[in-house]
Amino acid sequence: MASIGEEQEIRGLFSELKLADEQTAPGFNTVWHRAQGRSLKPRRAFNLSFAVATGLLICALGTLALWSMRWQPAAPASASARLSAEAGSFAPESDKSPTVARASEPPQNRQPLVKNRLHRLVSPQHAPEIAGNQQLTKEAKAIASWQSPTSDLLSSPSDGLFKSLPQLNENANELKSFLPNRENDKEK
Amino acid sequence: MKTDGMQIAELKAELERLHSASFGWALSCCRRDQTEAEEVLQTVYVKILEGKARFGGESSLKTWLFAVIRKTAATEYRRRLLRSFRLTGDPEEMVERFAISESQSAGFERSELQGHFLIAMKTLPRRQREALHLVFYEDLSLREAADVMGVSIGSARQHYERGKKRLRESLATMELGYGINWGRAGNPRAV
Repeated sequence: MASIGEEQEIRGLFSELKLADEQTAPGFNTVWHRAQGRSLKPRRAFNLSFAVATGLLICALGTLALWSMRWQPAAPASASARLSAEAGSFAPESDKSPTVARASEPPQNRQPLVKNRLHRLVSPQHAPEIAGNQQLTKEAKAIASWQSPTSDLLSSPSDGLFKSLPQLNENANELKSFLPNRENDKEK
Repeated sequence: MKTDGMQIAELKAELERLHSASFGWALSCCRRDQTEAEEVLQTVYVKILEGKARFGGESSLKTWLFAVIRKTAATEYRRRLLRSFRLTGDPEEMVERFAISESQSAGFERSELQGHFLIAMKTLPRRQREALHLVFYEDLSLREAADVMGVSIGSARQHYERGKKRLRESLATMELGYGINWGRAGNPRAV
């Protein structure tokens, strides 16, 4: 019973509040027409914050792409230097690949503009790495132009004989020309 | 009935019939801020006109409309709060500002009892306030209130009971003399 009484009291307070609200409520037609006006309005073509975020993203990607493009020449140079260092000990000078040859070229031949940009972009943290790469290039160049001092001992005047073989369809007389003519030597 | 182009006139008539109750509910959802409540109601009508809010007929139109109002009010509140945070940058200052706007919008011409009642209502948690409003103000059943609030009927009942208890305690604390001895009704011998 007590709870029912309480509920009625609360209901009374709410109905009083409802009456007060009804007096201050805006007319339906006013709100409806404003809503209609809002729904008929052409929407903004783009959201401003979305546009700003997209612009920032594009700028960041562009900067990253530019930065990576400027960094690209440094990486292949060091890689080719390493390659030439490895290949230089095995390959003769005439067999040098274009990459190796380019790596062994003096640095003055490269585009100075790119070099300058690289130097500008390189931070002090990367300076030791760059110096190391240059050292590698020098070493690769030295190794690529190296020749063995005993390579002359490996060649002889009779190299032509060892490099040619008799044919199977040759007659006996022709074959004899390959053999040492000892009898003739004895007769002589 | 569905919110198709053909039936918009019929829907408009229904909305007009429910307009007063809708505004009361919007007021409750907007912490009694009349301007905000009007804006929320307008946004709800825009949603209906644009077909963003569609009545599927699963519940009564009133229940559906109130659920849309509740969601829209929550969205608008978050948006306003975010915008204000961006402008001020100080959360404490923002909360104070909101409190001031709430007290200003409470209506100066209300009776002392109504003022106390409104203050007591504001001290209630949102769910409890919603449950009491839907049952006592809008004359909805607990099941309908649960549908509007988007909770189970058991949960709605719990919010309702706790809200009643807390409202009674708040009013008793304020020592209202409305011819009611809040909290003493159960014991007539209590002084």
